[in-house]
Amino acid sequence: MSVELGHFALVLALALALVQSAAPLMGARIGSLPLMRVGEPVAITGFALVAAAFAALVLAYVQSDFSVLNVWENSHSAKPLLFKITGAWGNHEGSMLLWVLILALFGALVAAFGRNLPPTLKANVLAVQGLIASAFLLFILFTSNPFNRLQPAPIEGRDLNPILQDIGLAIHPPLLYLGYVGFSISFSFAVAALIEGRIDAAWARWVRPWTLAAWAFLTGGIAMGSYWAYYELGWGGFWFWDPVENASFLPWLSGTALLHSAIVMEKRSALKIWTVLLAILTFSLSLLGTFLVRSGVLTSVHTFASDPTRGVFILAILVFFIGGALALFAVRAAALAPGGLFHPISREGALVLNNLLLTTAAATVLVGTLYPLLIEALTGEKISVGAPFFNLTFVPLFLPLLVAVPFGPLLAWKRGDLLAAAQRLQIAFAAAALSGIVSYFLMDRASAFAALGLALGLWLIFGALTDLCLKIGIGKVPPSVALGRLAGLPLSMFGTALAHAGLGLTALGVVAVTTLEAESILTMRPGQVAEIGGYSLTFENLRPFTGPNYTEDRAVFAVTGEGGASLGEIVSSKRFYAARGMPTTEAGIRTFGLSQLYVSIGDETASGLVVRIWWKPLVTLIWLGALVMMVGGAVSLFDRRLRVGVPARRKLAVAAAGEGA
Amino acid sequence: MFFWLLAALLTLAASLAVMKPFLRKADKDAAAGEHDIAVYRDQLRELDEEVRRGLISESDAAEARAEIGRKILRLTKAQEKSGAAPQHAKLAGAIAMAAVLAVPVVSWGLYAMLGSPGLPTLPLQARLQQDPSGASLDELIARTEAHLADNPEDARGWEVLAPVYARLGRYGDAIAAYRRTIALAGATADREAGLGEAMVGQSGGVVTADAEAAFRRAMDLDKANSRARFYTAMARAQEGRHEEARAIWQEMSESLPDDSPWKGVAGQALANLAAAQQQRAGAGAAGPSQEDIAAAGNMEPEARQEMIEGMVASLDAKLRDNPADPEGWRRLLRSYVVLGRRGEAADALGRALAALGAESAEGQALTEFAGTLGITAVR
Repeated sequence: MSVELGHFALVLALALALVQSAAPLMGARIGSLPLMRVGEPVAITGFALVAAAFAALVLAYVQSDFSVLNVWENSHSAKPLLFKITGAWGNHEGSMLLWVLILALFGALVAAFGRNLPPTLKANVLAVQGLIASAFLLFILFTSNPFNRLQPAPIEGRDLNPILQDIGLAIHPPLLYLGYVGFSISFSFAVAALIEGRIDAAWARWVRPWTLAAWAFLTGGIAMGSYWAYYELGWGGFWFWDPVENASFLPWLSGTALLHSAIVMEKRSALKIWTVLLAILTFSLSLLGTFLVRSGVLTSVHTFASDPTRGVFILAILVFFIGGALALFAVRAAALAPGGLFHPISREGALVLNNLLLTTAAATVLVGTLYPLLIEALTGEKISVGAPFFNLTFVPLFLPLLVAVPFGPLLAWKRGDLLAAAQRLQIAFAAAALSGIVSYFLMDRASAFAALGLALGLWLIFGALTDLCLKIGIGKVPPSVALGRLAGLPLSMFGTALAHAGLGLTALGVVAVTTLEAESILTMRPGQVAEIGGYSLTFENLRPFTGPNYTEDRAVFAVTGEGGASLGEIVSSKRFYAARGMPTTEAGIRTFGLSQLYVSIGDETASGLVVRIWWKPLVTLIWLGALVMMVGGAVSLFDRRLRVGVPARRKLAVAAAGEGA
Repeated sequence: MFFWLLAALLTLAASLAVMKPFLRKADKDAAAGEHDIAVYRDQLRELDEEVRRGLISESDAAEARAEIGRKILRLTKAQEKSGAAPQHAKLAGAIAMAAVLAVPVVSWGLYAMLGSPGLPTLPLQARLQQDPSGASLDELIARTEAHLADNPEDARGWEVLAPVYARLGRYGDAIAAYRRTIALAGATADREAGLGEAMVGQSGGVVTADAEAAFRRAMDLDKANSRARFYTAMARAQEGRHEEARAIWQEMSESLPDDSPWKGVAGQALANLAAAQQQRAGAGAAGPSQEDIAAAGNMEPEARQEMIEGMVASLDAKLRDNPADPEGWRRLLRSYVVLGRRGEAADALGRALAALGAESAEGQALTEFAGTLGITAVR
């Protein structure tokens, strides 16, 4: 019964979403306060219903209820419990349900905690959220229903794709979706403002925490996905520029731009129109990303052709939301009042430069992602746009951005002094340059690129530190006063510094791995020794092992460091999942400091086992940097100023009532 | 029924959520402009802080203050101009009514279209407890067999498959599956009893010594196992020990709970036994009834008869080659009696006694056993 109850809850959630998209909008139109208020309880109830539906689906997975088509297609009774649960969103239908669940969660949060929003704005925001939820629920119920039943029910399922049976997959999609869907709130606020034809001064203040939260989740989601690909796919790459990855990177780029332009809007009421446009674009890219990843609409034209209802539905959703929002923007943008003035060289100007570079970078990635798909759709010819394209287009755009980052926080609002900012940064610049030069001369095989890259990464980190030091006046005031100022510094400033330093860490990791990595491919027999990165690996043996739903051959390598000290062992294996008849490679990874030894085994040949060994210096910094960025976002989020919002409401309401009397 | 009740409750809750804003008294909200003024005040306050930190020059700050001040002024003017928003209470009421109505209409309508309300949840664990029944058994079996080919160590798979085979009359496969389950996952009363039942099925309803051994093992594990008890009684009946059979069946039909399928089966067996005895009292001869055979297998009658005859013939031939097998003779005698071929039974007893020696302990035991079946040797 729980399955059907879940199905019913989902249908009921659609009914509520339809009400939510219509009633508050009409209420705002005719000025009926109770009608505008309908959105709040409906959004919260809708969330409860979607949550119930999702719980019913997860329960069906846990119980291996193969009378549910979706469970039969993606689960197996012998699968470990954790992967039964995560399997619920490891497929198209389930992941769409997760998407809607998160959407409903955000809608409910706006309804529950947006007490200080003006009622018409809140009504319109919830209506737009309801519209998005309606579209997705219709899509789920009519083309991707996870509650379709099978009768008679098979006795065993077809199992989940083995490479998705991984803890990384348990965390990656929810994080990614929290990011994608978080941007729906900014989108709803933007569209609501356009519907009303005016933007409140507090608009940016309300939008920024949502954008910040979405951005932090998306950062984490992308990093998690990258790390998953790194260890699960077994070729040791951390970024492949494939459409699925680009799809999550695009909203990140425009979301980062949105985050920064919202600062200008909040502080100086400038860049209003641009910010609204960015909010629309960011969520549009999120929608594109959702469908690119999940349905493979554009990654494979054949999928699109094989299931036309789904593809047409997706196109309709994209056209409706992206086209509709942009059309609304075209009609209403002129009505939005422009904001404060500023000189090109100023904090505002720096943020505009940031926006220009980020959006241009996003545009190049978009072109590189969609162009081959478009060509394939139109001519049937398959072309591949890979790393060379992005190295030529994306990297030259991103490098100046990285160089410029430390300047931003040091420039004054309205009218800045570039020279003064540069002077304040000279210590950071000197330190970074010195490190680069030293690394060039000290490390053998280090190329000039590596030295420059290292210097760039350190420049970002030192720049972020300089910003903090200057703000608390180190060197100018006694240490005790500086410490006091440090404690009094707004959290958002720490957030900025952390996020920028995190970017530097990631850059450092990327540069170190791409330029200094060592790789060795060889065939080994038991007892043979391989040397790499100052470590030696002794191939001990290959032994069979049986897991819950797979069998594997485990190759065990003993690791010894310099001087022969034993450092334990690395185990890499080739797995075979019988239910799907699929082999996978499980890489063996050992972390030493910030660097990693990565071992991946291939087939057995006459001359021994094929073994690929990589020494990946500072590779963990790529993801640690993302983690630091996430923490930066979280710290900013907890800034009191953002949380309190508009404090003076009650007093004002009383005053208004007094005036009325 | 319970499902519809819950669905109705959910719908009610959803409708109430739509109605909620109309159920409580409206409270006055601050007008939008007041939120803006609060933000502008914050901006002014932050400007002072930024000047203190040197993030903006004093002159630029003054300019910014002027900008913000102008905005506050413009806003206040706009607020004075705009009066209270028009209230369309009637229209709002109609929209609300439509919204409340839309909830049950859309949800029940769509669910009627998409849902399968009659279909119960089928957790795998619960399904494994009961006999899988349904039309697509063949498909089910094929899938399970494919799975077991990949995972021959999957005891649960074998356990699922064994009763299905038995139901379809594939007794040989059923026996193998039960043996496999017991070997992989250990013996339980149910598995042993199932194994015995499959053996009975294979021998066309005759409780063979192997089958009886399986039932004995089942009852060692669980004295109350109904399946094992029923077939033990059947073995007694087939041996002609009707009183012992009757006692067991009687006890089963009295003490088993009403919902046990074995209660009825035992009652039926009792009735059959009584009818057969009556018949024998009339005709003076008939052995245990043919119904026992019919009850056990559900094959085509001719095919079954053929199969049984083949088996009996092969047993007979085996005993001609190797007559020193008292248990085998016992089985042969019982089979002939069940098949109603009393003359051949008597002939077989003669051969057995010739081989074992009529005066030996085994020969005497066999004579006594034959006596219970109403057979005397032809000399």
